[in-house]
Amino acid sequence: MGSAEQDEYAAFKEKVRRTVFMDNLSPIVTESVMRTALDQYGTVKSVEFLPNYLEPQNMPRCALVEMEKEKQAEVVISTLSELPFMMSGMPRPVRARAAVPEMFGDRPRKPGRHLHVHWLDPSDPNFEVANKLKQLVKKHSTENAVMLKHQLEKEEKLAKQQGETLKANYKKYEMLDTLMADGTVRRLARRYNFRISDDSGPSTFH
Amino acid sequence: MAEVGGTEYNEFKWGKKRRIGGKKRDVQFYESFTYDGVDYTLYDNIYLYKEGESFPYLGKLIKIWETADKSKKVKVLWFFQPWEISNYIVDELAHPKEIFLATGEGEGLANINPLESINGRCNVVCISKDSRNPQPSDRDIKMADFVFYRTFDVGLRTIMDRIDEKIAGTEVKFIFNRPGFLEPSSVHNFSADDKNASENAMEINGRVILSKLNSSENQIPEDDRQEEQKPVVAEKLAPNDRQENGFNYKSASSFKVEENSDVKVPSVKHNISQREKLVSGVVTESCELAKANDRQENTSGDKTGFRRDVKENADSEVSSVKPQNSSIEKIDHINQVKVDEKLKYMKDASELDERPHKKAKLNSSVKVSNDDENSRHPTDPRWTTKKSSDKLKIDDKLTKPTNCKTPGMSPNDGKRTGDKAVEVICMPDSDRSNWFGEIPWEERMQDAHEHGKLVLFQNLDPTYSSADVQDIVWTAFKKTCRAKVVQHTAYSSPHSGQAFAIFNTREVAEGLVTELDKRCLWLPNQRPLVASIPNPCFLRKQSMFAGHLIVDKLKYLREMKEAVSTSHCSQPNTLEYDMAMEWCLMTETSNRFWKKLYEQQRKEIKRVKANFKTK
Repeated sequence: MGSAEQDEYAAFKEKVRRTVFMDNLSPIVTESVMRTALDQYGTVKSVEFLPNYLEPQNMPRCALVEMEKEKQAEVVISTLSELPFMMSGMPRPVRARAAVPEMFGDRPRKPGRHLHVHWLDPSDPNFEVANKLKQLVKKHSTENAVMLKHQLEKEEKLAKQQGETLKANYKKYEMLDTLMADGTVRRLARRYNFRISDDSGPSTFH
Repeated sequence: MAEVGGTEYNEFKWGKKRRIGGKKRDVQFYESFTYDGVDYTLYDNIYLYKEGESFPYLGKLIKIWETADKSKKVKVLWFFQPWEISNYIVDELAHPKEIFLATGEGEGLANINPLESINGRCNVVCISKDSRNPQPSDRDIKMADFVFYRTFDVGLRTIMDRIDEKIAGTEVKFIFNRPGFLEPSSVHNFSADDKNASENAMEINGRVILSKLNSSENQIPEDDRQEEQKPVVAEKLAPNDRQENGFNYKSASSFKVEENSDVKVPSVKHNISQREKLVSGVVTESCELAKANDRQENTSGDKTGFRRDVKENADSEVSSVKPQNSSIEKIDHINQVKVDEKLKYMKDASELDERPHKKAKLNSSVKVSNDDENSRHPTDPRWTTKKSSDKLKIDDKLTKPTNCKTPGMSPNDGKRTGDKAVEVICMPDSDRSNWFGEIPWEERMQDAHEHGKLVLFQNLDPTYSSADVQDIVWTAFKKTCRAKVVQHTAYSSPHSGQAFAIFNTREVAEGLVTELDKRCLWLPNQRPLVASIPNPCFLRKQSMFAGHLIVDKLKYLREMKEAVSTSHCSQPNTLEYDMAMEWCLMTETSNRFWKKLYEQQRKEIKRVKANFKTK
């Protein structure tokens, strides 16, 4: 019994090493998209999206991607940390990092662990401490929630700001394009005795 | 075409004929030819230049013919160099000169090219340990231009070790080293200082081969293979050797000495220009591979995968490092500002909770020794404290009543509290818990929530499994439940874990919560269990995602749709990249925040736990 548990746990730990935790995923990213995206780095064995019950619903999704070999997982993580990788949309990149056991919902028991619980009597002086700890836990979770909300707000702000920049840039390029197309540029060039080459217009947003 | 006699500038000359083929019987297949003064035979390994490229590709001639309209074609089975398929190479290269033979089905296996694109022969030695492969000596390997033993399946896009019976319609014996090839020592002796020597060598080899094999067909190619050794051996004086190769044992009159230098230079140029010209070459390569590929995602994925290589090799590496640096500087600056902001939020948060002001009372009764004992533990990493506590428990088992770390915890405490520390036992029916395997957890959770049977546990050890939680509940309350831990994300607190538990009835759930509120269930490592009725959100409709932008006007453009639907790495010269960098910066900043926040929380926990008394 003991060694079966240990084997199971060892296998689990090995799986953890082979898994990549990805977040900042758009909600429209599906498993097949993830598979095809990461196929180039190796074989994707499984993709599991983490359910989000307690956090605000606007949070980006996260997923655990299990690769076939540990080295492939490492490659994914290092590549994605060097270059921004886009999935199903731009310009927000996805993020990849090494998975840890706590990320897995169906993890096996840690073998050799013995748990003890006991009830504390109110007369125990530690009871107060315990109560305080409980309060602290609740406080911390509220703090975390606030922090998350704050982060989401910042993200939205950045997105909006980038949207504005993009629009402005696009307008600029559009204007340049139309000027080139309708001959205004050429006319101006003739007037000012300028030579223009026949290059194509400026690059557009991807 | 009959063999033309040797003339001054012998651009091209056919060698041995094979058969007539083609639909109209107007295609003549050949087995050998001379081009630019170099002799080639079927199954030779060659360098091939594509139009507009500066470095050559490596291939093996598997078909040679002339069409009805007198154009000369060759079919080339490709070799891949490591940089061409770096994405698929997961392990180390077996050899610095290792290349991979193309196999399988699909684009990139073989191509038909005009014969004129051939630019010299290449010495590729097969180092496969396959029994069918004549084993090369160390010298052979050292002298080879390239070695291979693995193949790259262009359809499956993986590297394989096995070599099948046929690759691209070519029998495997032509893939492996040719027999009669492994006599480099004899070749060396005639290190090609003069034509005669080489001629002799050739003849000897010829004789050897004749004795070994009967078919005349193979004879010539084998000669060739051996001759290939020579250019490598005597690099400077290679020209002579090369010229001697072949089938026309009469001395070819045109000795274009530059020939070999041409052949040699590409390999050198290849390495240098590789760095400069990778972009064009690689993109074409990937285009080739991806042309008939239906899966568009892979296409751009491959392209960008190669491009990534390019960048790593080229100087743009420097520029890509720079934005990172600047972003890090910005982070530090912003951190200052943000820390203040964060503190403000902390205060807000604390206002939400009523803090009981009992600290004063506790502090006064703290004993010094206990402080030491207990303050030690919170600072230890969770694991070691757990281990030590485990050890103690194993010793104590049910005899000692206490749950706390210090061995000094005597029965006194037990007597006082009247409680015993109970070892957590397995919940019964935990095997039967697979009954509900059919109903997915989420549905059950939703159902439980509607009926009020759902409880959220907090302040668990993050490493607990769902089964642990169930067992704890059973031990403490004698109530069965189904639990699932909440999975950690990038932002989850490292200090505690949470779990959902579904109970059988609403009363049980509510009763449990109230009881845990009033009393205190003490888990290992000084964790009181916190329970509440949660309000989880099951909505899946998430339409907004901050960060993905679309230019409305372009939304319907096919390229835009493709660009959006494919996953790709961003290139540094685009606007997209700059924006992506901004996002990276933001996530970095967030990470630092979270770290600070959790650090702060850890300190708070430690402070409170410091007041924990043991006697």
